[in-house]
Amino acid sequence: MAMAAARRALLAHLRVPVARPAAAAAAAGTVPVAARRLLSSTTEETKGSFLDKGEVADRVVSVVKNFQKVEPAKVTPTAHFQKDLGLDSLDTVEIVMAFEEEFGFEIPDNEAEKIDSIKSAVDFIASHPQAK
Amino acid sequence: MAAVAGPTRAEALSLFRSLLRTAKQFSDYNIREYTRRRAADAFRENRALPDAAAAAAAFAEGKKQLEVAKRQAVVYSLYTPKSKSVMELKALIKNMD
Repeated sequence: MAMAAARRALLAHLRVPVARPAAAAAAAGTVPVAARRLLSSTTEETKGSFLDKGEVADRVVSVVKNFQKVEPAKVTPTAHFQKDLGLDSLDTVEIVMAFEEEFGFEIPDNEAEKIDSIKSAVDFIASHPQAK
Repeated sequence: MAAVAGPTRAEALSLFRSLLRTAKQFSDYNIREYTRRRAADAFRENRALPDAAAAAAAFAEGKKQLEVAKRQAVVYSLYTPKSKSVMELKALIKNMD
């Protein structure tokens, strides 16, 4: 049953043009957050709205936990990238890029430089109208 | 040798960011991942260069590679693979469970 569903979703995905992988990934995910985002995207995207801070924090933490060099157990909502997680400035650049991918907007260089901890990332993303 | 100014920290990180952004534009999984990995490896390799001249040379080389990557991203976009890499499909299946 689950396999059949997986197979159907997979086949549907294969026909999706390569130019729209983000939309396809959102459609395939069963994460409620992804579904909510998909349903509300038409109205929110046009006027630009702010994401809930708790939701942003959860997603930021999971992005950082998925980063190769990070020990998932060390990731807390207050962790500092360099002091607590042992990351260097290059890792920080890669993590900020991962945030861009997760939240679907571009973070300019001068803002990216200021993001050095989970807290500063959450604050910036939650205060950005284009984050989705 | 005349004093050559090496790139500042911000300039180096900005170049790294540009390379990662360009890497993301490749539609082919293998090339996209290779470009990202190659940029990250090169910056780590050159993180502690002995002098400003060496840093300036590495920075110039990086800028040249960025131009190559930008150009190739356009060329490769004309030859997008018809099917996705199995690595991308695996990620998709994991998301569904």
